[in-house]
Amino acid sequence: MKSRRNVKTSKRRNVQTPWLRGLVASWLVASPLFALETATSAPVDEYRTLQPVFRSVVQRLRPSLVRIETVGGAQPPERLPSEPQEEGQGDSPKKPRSQNPFRDSPGSGFVVADGPTTGIIYSSDGHILTSSFNFVREPALVSVTLADGRRLAADLVARDQVRKLAMLKVDATDLPVPEWAPGEEIQVGRWTIALGLAFGGQEPSISVGIVSALNRMLGNAFQTDARISPANYGGPVCNLAGQVMGIAVPLAQRPGELAGVEMYDSGVGFALPKQRVEEIAARMMKGESFYRGWLGMVVDPKVMDALVIGNVADPSPLRAAGVKIGDHILTAEGRDVRHFGQLVQALYMIPAGEDVYLSLKRNEQTFGVKVRLARAAELGPLPEVEEPLDPSSPQPIIVPEGGHEEHDHEEHHHEDDE
Amino acid sequence: MTNANSKMRRASRGRFLRFPIVILHSCFLTVFSAPLAAGEFDLAIASATQRVVKLYGLGAGVQVGYGSGILVSDDGMILTVLSLLIDARRLRVVLPDGTRREAEVIHRDSQQQLALLKLRPPVHELAAPDAKAGQPGDKEPVASGGSTGALRPGSFLYFDLHDGRPVSNVPDEAARAEAGGSLSPGDWVIAAGNAFKVAEGAEPVSVAHGVFSALTRLDARRRVRDYPYRGEILMIDAVTSNPGAPGAAVVNLNGWLVGMVGRDVISNLTHTHFNYAIPRETLEESLREALTKPETQPSDSGVPREVADPSQSEMPSHVTSTIVSSAPVDYGIRISRAGYQTVLPFVERVRADSPAGRAGLRADDLILSVNGKSVADVSELDARIKDLSPGEPLDLVVRRDRRILTIRVETK
Repeated sequence: MKSRRNVKTSKRRNVQTPWLRGLVASWLVASPLFALETATSAPVDEYRTLQPVFRSVVQRLRPSLVRIETVGGAQPPERLPSEPQEEGQGDSPKKPRSQNPFRDSPGSGFVVADGPTTGIIYSSDGHILTSSFNFVREPALVSVTLADGRRLAADLVARDQVRKLAMLKVDATDLPVPEWAPGEEIQVGRWTIALGLAFGGQEPSISVGIVSALNRMLGNAFQTDARISPANYGGPVCNLAGQVMGIAVPLAQRPGELAGVEMYDSGVGFALPKQRVEEIAARMMKGESFYRGWLGMVVDPKVMDALVIGNVADPSPLRAAGVKIGDHILTAEGRDVRHFGQLVQALYMIPAGEDVYLSLKRNEQTFGVKVRLARAAELGPLPEVEEPLDPSSPQPIIVPEGGHEEHDHEEHHHEDDE
Repeated sequence: MTNANSKMRRASRGRFLRFPIVILHSCFLTVFSAPLAAGEFDLAIASATQRVVKLYGLGAGVQVGYGSGILVSDDGMILTVLSLLIDARRLRVVLPDGTRREAEVIHRDSQQQLALLKLRPPVHELAAPDAKAGQPGDKEPVASGGSTGALRPGSFLYFDLHDGRPVSNVPDEAARAEAGGSLSPGDWVIAAGNAFKVAEGAEPVSVAHGVFSALTRLDARRRVRDYPYRGEILMIDAVTSNPGAPGAAVVNLNGWLVGMVGRDVISNLTHTHFNYAIPRETLEESLREALTKPETQPSDSGVPREVADPSQSEMPSHVTSTIVSSAPVDYGIRISRAGYQTVLPFVERVRADSPAGRAGLRADDLILSVNGKSVADVSELDARIKDLSPGEPLDLVVRRDRRILTIRVETK
């Protein structure tokens, strides 16, 4: 196992002079500035020297961490990941259960606990960023405990069920906003420290890992092997300088509010980086929420080797765009889609209200459409399949190859009702 | 923490001097990296793997028949978690050098959910003659004492639970004794245990690295029942909620014991499997209690205890008389543990020549109560049976088909 030579050198390490230790620490903290060196080699005493660095990161972030507690609410109904073909329930009493196969599903069998969760201060005037995972129980009351011990009532301003973020607001001023790491510093191999407050107490739980990959989940998240779990969803993933690299959230390559929880603590975890968080947070602070986006179609189960539309909800964005039963979907957002799973994988990170580009084929003619994804509640039931489509449906809006031309059809896609 | 602060300050100063530092570091790396390639964890790993044993015992249903234990004395005392595993008729131990032994339970601490085992003197047939080849601790001459026959003090490397010190008479480890068993959140830890029993014979146990995440209080359950241990625990970010890992040693970077992996439980706060260690202080407390207090189930109650192994009567004299054996009573019942959430205690099999067999218990009987207390599921049944004194009769109410029957199982 260990040679005599190693034993000797290990003794030498123990008598290392303080200035050398400080030097190693400085190297580590400054390491984001030396991307090349980090990538090629690591200092030999790194592990021992890292321990105080980890502690200092916690110390630096602790004032910006908040513990979130919720009162009331219940476990979301346990369902399998929803696919439009499944028989489902309506989202509102207006729609008969048998007719609307589109519904939002938490997408996991995970039983959500009602213990505390983690958030981080986003603005000094009381915006708290966290994960939507922490509110799937639809709690009646939300409270936030600041690092200084103040416990404040919080409003759930907005949430993003797709990117799994949520924004809270508390009535406070001069809150300590943490420093965010510049996006370019998030690189594969960099140390990551995930912090959470879900186990109660004042001191956060720490998990250490590295950045495993960039641009996961259709470019939305980076991957880390720090243990990401309900213990730190909504908490920060930081670098060794104590800057926030991202917000830990559950993600998987499918829709569903709980999708990704099944990978907790596995060494495969995800965090939304600064740029993504900023885009979403700016809109959430204005009260805008994001929900799962739907096209409002089912595939034709008789066709195995292509993605053929079997039925289109009425009303639905696809119907508004003039897409008809029997049309082949060739690509979605530039990705080839040959079966329903691929279609879902191309669109699952795009919330309702955003446009997606599909290319379709009808009678050997290909055409593109821009479709604004809808919320499940906005979709009508599926008409009887035999029923011919309403001849007054608008013709497909042709988008030139690769074109992202603005077609102002979105305003009238709700007028499509008969 | 103040130390960390000053380092941070020095660190930020370092940014302004980064060019000279790059040069210095390049020299540093060139000079030192080659001989130290084994990394910082090698001492901790060696310390832990040489003091952890693999346990093989009773398994049923989701409870696997293997686990881990920590050597806590030089005469072969092993601390592990309280589980069904140790209730085997033959509880087998594989020592770090591959030597196979049997052990007996000398104390059950139901409060801390810990159990103290004691190695039995070697039985010649059980000792693997070639077990020492390629052993991980072959630099440790004392380890060979395990297979020479006698259970003499000084036979085993162990952790001193008083401070977590890895005890041995090998010089380089003694030098490390000054380093200490301190642990702060963010410090590295190594967990060494028999996870998934992938390590066979003399192969060193599996190690996983992580950091000490937080000190917290355990609020957890096993399946549907709350877990009785409610003390402080060390949350770690190495994944230890694996079969076989309970009883594994958790050491810091100095190789000092800081805790022991507890049973797989699900946190009530997050509904996730908990990766945690029972702190060394708790282990020490339990050991002290085991060595000073008589067993909770006194064997001198006049009721003869079933002796599973004749070698048990040849207990070496240095085992103090306050430690009394409490091998569980074998009623000859095997309970079915198939099921998902609530596992009803159906009898799977009854040995014909056993107390239960003689009393008329049959396979497929559903046990409703034990000695007047109802049992909702298998874990409650286990708890009831565990609480019985040796020789105590078992009054069962069972459902057989549509009838309710009362059955008294007597061990004599």
